[in-house]
Amino acid sequence: MTTESKQTSPAHALREYGSQTPGTKGIPGKRRYSMVIDLRKCIGCMSCVVACKAEYGVPLGVWRTWVMVADKGRYPNSRRIFMPRLCNHCDYPICVRNCPTQATFKHEEGFVLQRYNRCIGCRTCVVACPYNARHFLPAKRTNNNLPVLVVDKCTFCIHRVKKGLVPACVQACVGGARIFGDVNDPKSEVAKLVAREKLTVLKPELGTSPSVYYIGGDWEIMDEPHNYKHRTAQQKEEFNTYKRNHHGDAFGDIVEGENTMYHVGKNMSDFLASIPHKFFDVVAALKKLLFA
Amino acid sequence: METIITYNAVHHAAWGTPITVYFWLVGASAGSFVLSAFGWVFGIKRYKPLALTASILAIVMLMIVPVLLIWDLGKPFRFIYLMLPGYWHGTAPMSWGTLLILSYPISMFVYTYFVIKNDQKWAKIVGIIAIVLALSTHWYTGVVMELNPGRYLNHTPLAPLLFLTGAFISGIGLMILVLWIQNQFTRPEKRIKWELMEEMAQYMMYGIVFDFFLLFLDFMQTQYGTASEYLAHGTVLMEIFFTPYIWLEVVIGLLIPLILLVTPLKHTRIGVYGAAFLVAVGVYGMRIWWVMGGQYIQSFY
Ligand code: SF4
Ligand code: SF4
Repeated sequence: MTTESKQTSPAHALREYGSQTPGTKGIPGKRRYSMVIDLRKCIGCMSCVVACKAEYGVPLGVWRTWVMVADKGRYPNSRRIFMPRLCNHCDYPICVRNCPTQATFKHEEGFVLQRYNRCIGCRTCVVACPYNARHFLPAKRTNNNLPVLVVDKCTFCIHRVKKGLVPACVQACVGGARIFGDVNDPKSEVAKLVAREKLTVLKPELGTSPSVYYIGGDWEIMDEPHNYKHRTAQQKEEFNTYKRNHHGDAFGDIVEGENTMYHVGKNMSDFLASIPHKFFDVVAALKKLLFA
Repeated sequence: METIITYNAVHHAAWGTPITVYFWLVGASAGSFVLSAFGWVFGIKRYKPLALTASILAIVMLMIVPVLLIWDLGKPFRFIYLMLPGYWHGTAPMSWGTLLILSYPISMFVYTYFVIKNDQKWAKIVGIIAIVLALSTHWYTGVVMELNPGRYLNHTPLAPLLFLTGAFISGIGLMILVLWIQNQFTRPEKRIKWELMEEMAQYMMYGIVFDFFLLFLDFMQTQYGTASEYLAHGTVLMEIFFTPYIWLEVVIGLLIPLILLVTPLKHTRIGVYGAAFLVAVGVYGMRIWWVMGGQYIQSFY
C-alpha cells in the first residue's frame, strides 16, 4: 500500500489482507469506480431494479439491486423516502477475504466480482457480507446457459463499463439519482459530488470502506436494528411468507411466531431432498472429466 | 419523526441445519477424543480402558461430517477446490478448517492404531498432535462465524470458548452413554467401572459451570453492547430462538444436569446417565441459535 492511500483511509489501512487487491480509493493513477446515489432525486419507481433484472435475468426472490421504501412521520406530516441498495463494492470486502477458493475477488479498478467456475456454493461470502448484497442462485433457471447453485452479486456492470457505458441501473434511473464514475478522477461527476456533498455510507463502522455513497441519507432507514424493529405488519408477514415458502437448498430460515424446531427439521429435510439433484450434478461432472 | 419500513427485499439465512449438526458432531467428537487421550497422553491410567471406545466414537462422528459439508455445497464436486493450490485462500477461515478437518481424522486413525498395538510411546506422541488438531478443529467451528463483523451475535471472542466448552461436556455426555451401552454387552470384569463414570460426570459438571459463566459473559456483553448486539440477544434469542436457547440449551442442557450433578443424585444411575443424555442433547440447542440466530436479523436488512 502506498503512502497516499494510507493518508486517504487511515482507519482501514491495515484491512487489506485477503482482499487480493489493495484498496484503490484515492490512489493517483488508478481507477476506482464508485456510485453516488442522490436520495433527494430518487422517486422510488424501481426502474433500476427492473433494468438489473432484465440485464442479467436475475431469478425471482433474489436481487442484485433493490429499493427500500419507508414512511417518515405521521399523517398529515408524513413523507415517503427511498433508498436503493446494491453491492457496495467495498474497498476492503469481507466477502473476498473470507471466500475459501478465491472465487470472489476484487478487480483493481474496484469491481468486486464473482468467478462462477470457481465458486463451490459454500455461501461463506453470503454470511460474510454485512449488506446482504449476495444471493445463491437456484437449481433451475429458465435459461440453461446461466449458472446455477453458485453465488451471484452485482458486478457494477463491468461488461458495460468496459465498453464505455454506465451500469444498467444508472442508465435506467429516471430521476438521475444514480451517478457512476471514477472517484479517483477529479474531473468525474462522482468525484465532484464526493468532494462537495455531505455523504453517508452503510455501516461505516465495519471498516469495509463502501464505494456506494448516499446523499441525503436518513439514518433510520440506514440503520439495521431500526429496520428490524420498525416494519409494517405487512412487511413482517411478507418476510415470514418468504421464509416459510422457500424451496431452496439448505437455507437456515426460521419463521417468527412458528415452532423453531419444526423449521430446523424442515431445513434438514430440504437439505436431504437436495442431495439427489446434486448427486446427478456430480455424476455429470465426473462423466465430463473422464470422457469429454 | 418515526420511520416505518414499508418495503424491503428479504433474504435467506445462507447456512442451515446441516451446519448446526456438523458443529455438534465435531464438538462431540473432540470431546470424546479428549477423554480417549486422558489415559494414553496424560498418563491417567484408569482412563486407558475407555480410550479405544472413545477414539472410535470420535472417528465415527467425524466420518459423518464430510457427508454433511460436501452435500451442503451448491457444487459438491468442487469441494476439491478447497484443497488445490491456486484456489486455496489463506485469509479465509474455511480454508483453515479444511486443513483441520482433513488432518484431524488422519491423526486419530494413526493414534487409534497405536492404541490397538499397545504402543505407549507412539500413542502419546501422535495423541498430542491429535489432541491439538481436535481442539483446533472445534476452535475453527467457533471462529468461522465469529470472523464476520457484520454478524453481531457471532462476532465475539467468546465464540471458540463457548464451542470448546460445549464440545467438552457433550463429548463426555455422549461417552458416558456409549460406555453404558457397551457395559450391557461386555463381561462383568471388562466393564467400565461405575466410579469412573461418576468421575467423568464430575468433569462434566465443572464444564457446565464454566459454560454458564461464558453464557453470562455473553449476556452482559449484549445487554450493555451496541443496538445491534442488544437486538440480537433481546429480540432474536429471547423471542424467536427461545426454544433452542432457553429450553434446549439453558434448561435441558445445563440447568437440569447441573441440579442432577450437584445433589446426591450424582451417585445414582438416573443422575449420571440422565445428566449425560440431557447435556448431549442440550448442547445442540446452542448450535442452532448460534448458526441460525446469527443470520436471522440481518436477513431483513
Ligand atoms: S457489499 Fe458485500 S458483497 Fe459487496 S463487496 Fe462489500 S462485502 Fe462484498
Ligand atoms: S459461495 Fe463461492 S464465492 Fe462465496 S465464499 Fe463460497 S466459493 Fe467463495
